[in-house]
Amino acid sequence: MARAIGIDLGTTNSLVAYVDDRNRPQVVVVDGKKALLPSAVHYRMDGGIEVGGAAKRGAAEKPVDTILSVKRFMGRGPGDIQPEDRGIYHFDETGSLVKLAVNHGKRSVTPVEVSAEILRVLKRRAAEHLSGPVGGCVLTVPAYFDDAQRQATKDAGRLAGLDVFRLVNEPTAAALAYGLDKRSQGTFAIYDLGGGTFDVSILKLTDGVFEVLSTGGDTHLGGDDFDRVVAERLLAENDLSSSPMLLRGAIAAAQKVREALTYQEMIEIDVDLPGGRILRAKLSRDDLEALIRPVVERTTETCLGALRDAGLAQNGGKKVDGVVLVGGATRTPLVRRHVKSIFGQEPLTDLDPDTVVALGAAVQADALDKGGRDDVLLLDVIPLSLGVEMMGGVVEKIILRNSTIPASATQQFTTYADGQTGMVVHALQGERELARDCRSLARFTLKGIPPMPAGLARVEITYSVDADGILAVSAKELTTGIEQKIQVKATYGLSEDEVERMLVESIEHAGEDVAERFLVEWRIEGERIIQSLESAFQVDGELLSPDERAHIEKRIKGLREAMTTDDYLAIKAWIESTDGASKAFAERRMNKHIARAMAGHRVDEFAGQVRPPDDQ
Amino acid sequence: MNCWSCQKAVGPEDVFCPACRVLQPEPPGADLFSALGLSRGYDIDPDDLEARFRARSRQLHPDRFARASARERRLSLERTTRLNDAYRTLKDVRRRAAYLLKLLGKDPVVEARTLHDPEFLEEQLELREMLALAREKSDQRTLALIATGARDRLAAIDEEVARLFAEADPGEEALLSIVSALARSRYFENVVAEADPTAPPAQPR
Repeated sequence: MARAIGIDLGTTNSLVAYVDDRNRPQVVVVDGKKALLPSAVHYRMDGGIEVGGAAKRGAAEKPVDTILSVKRFMGRGPGDIQPEDRGIYHFDETGSLVKLAVNHGKRSVTPVEVSAEILRVLKRRAAEHLSGPVGGCVLTVPAYFDDAQRQATKDAGRLAGLDVFRLVNEPTAAALAYGLDKRSQGTFAIYDLGGGTFDVSILKLTDGVFEVLSTGGDTHLGGDDFDRVVAERLLAENDLSSSPMLLRGAIAAAQKVREALTYQEMIEIDVDLPGGRILRAKLSRDDLEALIRPVVERTTETCLGALRDAGLAQNGGKKVDGVVLVGGATRTPLVRRHVKSIFGQEPLTDLDPDTVVALGAAVQADALDKGGRDDVLLLDVIPLSLGVEMMGGVVEKIILRNSTIPASATQQFTTYADGQTGMVVHALQGERELARDCRSLARFTLKGIPPMPAGLARVEITYSVDADGILAVSAKELTTGIEQKIQVKATYGLSEDEVERMLVESIEHAGEDVAERFLVEWRIEGERIIQSLESAFQVDGELLSPDERAHIEKRIKGLREAMTTDDYLAIKAWIESTDGASKAFAERRMNKHIARAMAGHRVDEFAGQVRPPDDQ
Repeated sequence: MNCWSCQKAVGPEDVFCPACRVLQPEPPGADLFSALGLSRGYDIDPDDLEARFRARSRQLHPDRFARASARERRLSLERTTRLNDAYRTLKDVRRRAAYLLKLLGKDPVVEARTLHDPEFLEEQLELREMLALAREKSDQRTLALIATGARDRLAAIDEEVARLFAEADPGEEALLSIVSALARSRYFENVVAEADPTAPPAQPR
């Protein structure tokens, strides 16, 4: 049976996890011996695509064709790209979407497509590890991701052929893994400093209900920024000008330096740079901390804001019951001390900050797959207020930040000119007062308002946010009942047609790649079926008549033959036929074993192991 | 009412069909109180409210219906949205009061427009002047005093509202007094927000 998976799609590393038969979340080893797949995608000149460690190791050599930290571009428009993120990349400036030009401009890819490549690899590795196709999936996003970024992440999942059950906020997923592990109760702060994003969430845990009280963050702050400031210092000390090419080499050196200084006081190494130059890196932990302190301090206001929104900041700040660290950058000793000073207590670090998000995502995927778990429920919030633009460019908030989702709210508006027959609805996200300072999500025009004097028409605008934190807007003119509904597609997002086209293209373009993937998946599945049937013959062979057994064995022979070919459709067909032929056998075995297992037991002892029929 | 799925009888309190266990729509005419299984009234125990919210969330949340039929998924989304709205509205005493007033046919926003209380406005002007001066000088002591004073006034208003709602059948006069109290509370909420940067943002009504 297909198993649900949870994926942490990170800025620097990505992971996939699942819940095993003993109900424990496990990460899948994806890259050699590691569970962490570097979020690096190399578009080779020959049209092939390399993802993960190999791509990252070649990044200094092929800087333009190797996309790192693509998450920083997700759901962004061309105008949103920060200069330091532009780096060495070449951009395809045509159209309203961010497109990265690779292979000397012969190919251009959107951040959604790049992310989908990472997801495809994770999905494939999970299928290999689980020896079968993967089922539904939970993808995690930074809690502070806006609507456009969420939509883009969901599109990437779809493009990778994943059945995305739900988007879950990273700190919430971490809390889930943590809370379940520790059976905690009380109010907790989750401080999540990843490669490129920072989030803080305040949660209340009561009897397995994880209620997010508030969240805050910065989708542009993370360990990458530590590396950048260190890299710039290293280049300056070596009298090297900061060309994008050298910077990428220096950033790789900075990563090594920073990781080393987590455990030692001093480091001195030479690093080869592209072009045969050598970078001498000599740094003490004090030097490092002086460099990164301003970046770390940028998290303070966000934490205090989240405490305030949760109603915990008054009277000198009522303490939370615990602080959980998430994200690789929280290994940095300075970060730990800083967190301690903000929350007034030693942070909890029992779980691996790199894997805890993926583990939580797996728990949630498993719970969704089983129609909910009685012991856990996540109640999440939207991170940023949703509003509509009014006359004069001011924003009227319709749903406030930190509202529990799903959420919905309606407000009435009217016309401002006599005889006005249309009304532009401009949906925005953010806390600022003016539309130009908020993020534009979508714009549409409600037409067909009957002409009447200004102020008489009644237009009702409804915002609905679903459990993924994604917005839908509808507008209705009340005197005529004219209504328009749109699922908000971000101004800079992909339209439904574009996702559709990319899906088709990715299948055409990488037709062989897809075939290969299916081939691997179905071969594994075929192997599994043959093995389990053969061991069943040994144990329960007496349940079959010789004729029946021959009937099944004939199928197995056909399946074996098909598995020696590259025809995955044939393998699939033989698997189904073998499955069908052995169904009666499986039922008899089941009855026999249940009868045996139940002898001497009460029926209710089995209640927890039998899945209700609607779970299938 | 009958179950949309199996057509068997369903009571107004039934979240699920007793026969086929399928999620039912909210009964017509239900208010936010009934979304939490409460009867209409101002006096609510906050701990009980929170426990009800959690219990209902467990029953209704879309996470429990990821594998259910499209109709059940939609009902789950609708009912959870409504439940969240109900909890948000009822857990804040002043939002709760404003909502009750609306149910009783008094729109607090519209009614408050007709209120005239020059004495109160005079007091507010003075208070705001003090506040502006203290903020300008970053006078933390005075700011703290102003915030505490405004909180005390809010507590008094909340008590007054509770007392008025507790009357057996609040008449026109009592309801208008509540409207007036809520209108005044708005001023003090703004004062608290400006005088105390650690205060959570005021909720709209």
